[in-house]
Amino acid sequence: MLGISDPQIWIGYGLALGWTVACIVYGILMWNREGADENGS
Amino acid sequence: MAVDTVTLALVTVIYLAAVIGLGYLGYRRTKEQEDFLVAGRKIHPLVLALSYGATFISTSAIIGFGGISAQLGMGLVWLTVLCIAVGVFIAFVIYGRKTREIGQRTGAVTFPDLMGRIYDSRFMRYACAIVIIGGMPLYTAAILIGGARFIESTLAVPYDMALLGFAVIVACYVILGGLIAVMYTDALQGGIMFIGMTILLLLTYIYLGGVVEAHTALEGLASMVPAGLAAAGHNGWTAMPDLFSSIWLVMITTLVLGVGIGVLAQPQLAVRFMTVRDNRALNRAVLVGGIFVLMMTGVAFTVGPLTNVWFVETTGMIAVEAAGGNVDSVIPLYINSAMPDAFIIIFMLALLAAAMSTLSSLYHTMGSAIGYDMVGTYLNATPSMRTIQAGTIGMIIISAVIAYILPGSIIARATAMFMGLCAAAYLPAFTHGLYSKRPSAFAAKVSLITGAGMWFLWTAFVHLKESAPLGISKLLFGTDALLGMPWQVVDPLVIALPLSALALGGALIYERTTADIRSTEDVRD
Repeated sequence: MLGISDPQIWIGYGLALGWTVACIVYGILMWNREGADENGS
Repeated sequence: MAVDTVTLALVTVIYLAAVIGLGYLGYRRTKEQEDFLVAGRKIHPLVLALSYGATFISTSAIIGFGGISAQLGMGLVWLTVLCIAVGVFIAFVIYGRKTREIGQRTGAVTFPDLMGRIYDSRFMRYACAIVIIGGMPLYTAAILIGGARFIESTLAVPYDMALLGFAVIVACYVILGGLIAVMYTDALQGGIMFIGMTILLLLTYIYLGGVVEAHTALEGLASMVPAGLAAAGHNGWTAMPDLFSSIWLVMITTLVLGVGIGVLAQPQLAVRFMTVRDNRALNRAVLVGGIFVLMMTGVAFTVGPLTNVWFVETTGMIAVEAAGGNVDSVIPLYINSAMPDAFIIIFMLALLAAAMSTLSSLYHTMGSAIGYDMVGTYLNATPSMRTIQAGTIGMIIISAVIAYILPGSIIARATAMFMGLCAAAYLPAFTHGLYSKRPSAFAAKVSLITGAGMWFLWTAFVHLKESAPLGISKLLFGTDALLGMPWQVVDPLVIALPLSALALGGALIYERTTADIRSTEDVRD
């Protein structure tokens, strides 16, 4: 994939990008949410 | 140096003026102790994210680890995975929220203070401060050395003067402006680092003919792996080393796990969670932090191996060979040889920014540990801001003296050592303290002592890279390491952290069991 044949490497790149996307999505979804603890629930 | 020194010096002066300006802004906004120690708990999420990232990613992460990836290959991308997953996502979502909430509820303003208040224990506060005061000056000195060497080589300033000037400039805004100044300047420095690394990645792929072409060319160089590395498990720069080979063990245990997990219990990072007003700020910082850390570590660990293609095409030698065998010289040599002059200036500023942002945070953490936590616990009172500032000055002087004494080769080693020590000593107790409804001070003490003690024993008597230069094992037992391969390349963290966690669990079971027995006896009586 993309010139790299060892799956252990491109899986690593995939996970790095995947976690970055997770950070972005989390940041957007939780943009205005305070969280359970703060609400006392 | 390809760039005109006068131009570089001029740009550096403008950058330093901006840093001093932000430092002054921090000084003006620092009215009371809470401002100095936790930036008044009202830092903007963008500033938090950039400050956290810029503190986490030092020059050694870019130059040192980038150079190591030029030698060992793209397998270091797994460190990028951990840096984002653990260092940003888990750190902010799992640890950050609780740290901020407990910090605000208890009024804690430093990491040792937080631990002391969670466990209602002077011992925990003292012990956490002592680990910082004992371990952090070495790490700080390593960052100082790296920064001074960089200034010496790029601005042609004598090393001693560079070291002194670097230490004093950063000290000024830390001492006067506290954490507000540190985080404001961090944000500027993080922005410069982001721009520098983005351009570095783009230009590298453009020079090598595109993404697929660059990777294919790198894969084709596998036959050029030096015989010694191939025998130790190296399979080329686009492949992981052989499982459990000595290179694999170093890559995974020291680099990937050592730094990737070590980041969770860094006092200078944990305190940042207490600088924001609410959890919304932490959520927003996750977005920026993930992108920032990807661009710092991901680019360094991708460009590092790709420099081999560029050096083979231009000199016929692989990167480390072209750099005279010094991995720390690979990235600077590549920048100076391959990049246009304008980018060299940006990248050099990015490196200076990376060193300054980490250094300022370490100064602040050490200063607050001695000036606030040690003095405060000893006096059983809240020390004045002048006392904290005096403590900061004292720790800066100690770090500078150590930097003058230490060899330059200690930089990357000291970084990994400090991260490992923090994780082994703090992480289980920190996690237990944040999430347990009845945190046990006894279990936390056992865990901290076990983690720090085991880390020291493994460092001094088994892990060859440290035990040999330390010489304690040789002095007592006549050998550099008490255990043979593969143990002597297994990082102390991998041994000490699980033992620290087990000690915590064992102490909790012991305490709860004896409490049950006692309560049963009370009922009988």
